[in-house]
Amino acid sequence: MAENFEQHSDISAADLARLNQEAQAEATPSTAKIIWNEFKADKPAMAALIIVVGFIVFVMIGALFINTPKMMETNIMDYFDKPFTAGFWLGADSGGRSVAKQLIVGSRNSIGIAIGLTVISSTFGIAWGLISGYFSGYIDWGMQRVYDFMMMLPMTMMIIVLVTIIPHYNSVSLTFIFSIFYWEGTSRLIRSRTLAETQKDYVAASKTSGTNHWKIIFKEIMPNISSLIIVDCTLSFAENIGVETGLSYLGFGLPNQTPSLGTMIANANDPSNITLYWWTWLPAALEIVVLCLSISYIGQVLRRAADASQRQGAAD
Amino acid sequence: MSLIEIKDLKVHYPIRSGFWNRVTDSVKAVDGITFNIEAGETYGLVGESGSGKSTTGKSVVGLEKVTSGSILYNGKDITKKENRRKLDYNRDVQMIFQDSLSSLNPRKRIEDIIAEPLRNFEHLSKDDEKLRVLQLLNIVGLDADALYKYPHQFSGGQRQRIGVARAVATNPKLIIADEPVSALDLSVQAQVLNFMKKIQREFGISYLFISHDLGVVRHMCNNIAIMNRGRLVEIGTREDIYNHPLHIYTKRLLAAIPETNVNQRAAHRASRLAVEKIYEDQQSKYYDEDGMAYPLVQVSPTHSVALPEAIAKQLASQEGEVQA
Repeated sequence: MAENFEQHSDISAADLARLNQEAQAEATPSTAKIIWNEFKADKPAMAALIIVVGFIVFVMIGALFINTPKMMETNIMDYFDKPFTAGFWLGADSGGRSVAKQLIVGSRNSIGIAIGLTVISSTFGIAWGLISGYFSGYIDWGMQRVYDFMMMLPMTMMIIVLVTIIPHYNSVSLTFIFSIFYWEGTSRLIRSRTLAETQKDYVAASKTSGTNHWKIIFKEIMPNISSLIIVDCTLSFAENIGVETGLSYLGFGLPNQTPSLGTMIANANDPSNITLYWWTWLPAALEIVVLCLSISYIGQVLRRAADASQRQGAAD
Repeated sequence: MSLIEIKDLKVHYPIRSGFWNRVTDSVKAVDGITFNIEAGETYGLVGESGSGKSTTGKSVVGLEKVTSGSILYNGKDITKKENRRKLDYNRDVQMIFQDSLSSLNPRKRIEDIIAEPLRNFEHLSKDDEKLRVLQLLNIVGLDADALYKYPHQFSGGQRQRIGVARAVATNPKLIIADEPVSALDLSVQAQVLNFMKKIQREFGISYLFISHDLGVVRHMCNNIAIMNRGRLVEIGTREDIYNHPLHIYTKRLLAAIPETNVNQRAAHRASRLAVEKIYEDQQSKYYDEDGMAYPLVQVSPTHSVALPEAIAKQLASQEGEVQA
């Protein structure tokens, strides 16, 4: 059979290296290169990228050098020290604990939970949506009824109940509890696009080429909705920082001895803290605003990179 | 023995309605058709849009769930999934799609697109695979620098040729060509059709050529089946269909072929109107009381038409055809 092709084409094994080289020279730039060009064209987004990546790396590494139990010890002598006094850059809170150090460890905890939650819930939601949308019929029907049931549960209340029931929980178990409830939006979004994508001819062509269902779902359809996936992930990451923060603010998030952005903002529960001791809550609040804004800038660039008609970056 | 034998193939889609969403009726996309495709020939399947010709093609390649009937390949009924898997059926039967853009995955490079059937069926080494892809590109007249590009960087004709290259990659015995050129402009149509003919000569492939364009079908096909409302109305050789059409539907299709001879404009117009008049007056003669076509009746060894036997004989003798 191979001879059949040899016969009717004047290309033989000897030409392989040369032709491959020619083709490589004409190759289209990769997706990573296109995204990078897009960041170069959009200065605010570039700044946002540097802020987000720099900040995450800083808190992840910085937190390693801080002894958390020692930091969280109460020291009455430093009661509400002002910023830039007695070695406290950002002052101290009512327990005489350094706000700056709490901010670093707290950011690490909050961002860690947000990343973990985004990874787990998006992976599950994407897989759920893709499988449901691709197979349709009874499988889709069953999976969507499970989705409807999960949507019906009052999320915040369920999380609070679970957190109260579980005796010893930490940031890892909290991440898993959140993940039970946060995959739904993603899955429905992905399913709707998958339904449309599955009807296209390239899926039929893959079927006639003998590719199995799982390969079609994850290697053919998924790359085609990657723009949606990337944008959804960045936005839900920003949202997920808020999830932990909100719950900790209410007092049902991380335990008291574990600082997080939410517990720090909870300082603003006290009217005198809001007016007199502003340094206890303002840095954390500002950090959340800056992070979420930056992430949405990055999300916009990724969306533009995925859609050729919106691109601003130089075309290679 | 024929390459593919289609026997009484039916594809019905259920219509659900009412509070309980029960099946109340069905759309009969394909309603009992029978024909054979011989090795090495091009079989034309012609009809207006919605007549079920694409559904037939998809059933033959295994993309459509068949309601009843059988499609025999090597004596095995390939409407069953496990038979298709056992035979590695799609290694031997491939498909060329109408819309060249949507049939190529926009996120994959040309190399990966053409190599897809090779990876599933042939398991070649990396270098052999790349060589095969380059040879295929060469056969369909594209340069090697197409290898690492994406489908949107090519013109319609080039994309359709990439589709042809993918279909012939595993050296199949039959290719279902579902309106392969109807999305292309005329000069490119000729180019792609000639490529398909050339490949047929070199590799001995059969085509099931699905089209609504009788001009293209005349260029490509030896045997032709005319489809109307899910049923076959006429089967015959090119000669039978073009020179001795018996069914009124076939005559209408033929009358619809545009003529370029302006001097005879009035005459062509008159003959078109005459055919239309016969259709309007004698519709009940050609279709049964439900408006469906009759079962096929043979009028010569190669020629069959969907009419009651008496009318078929009468029309055939009018046409001066030799009786079987």
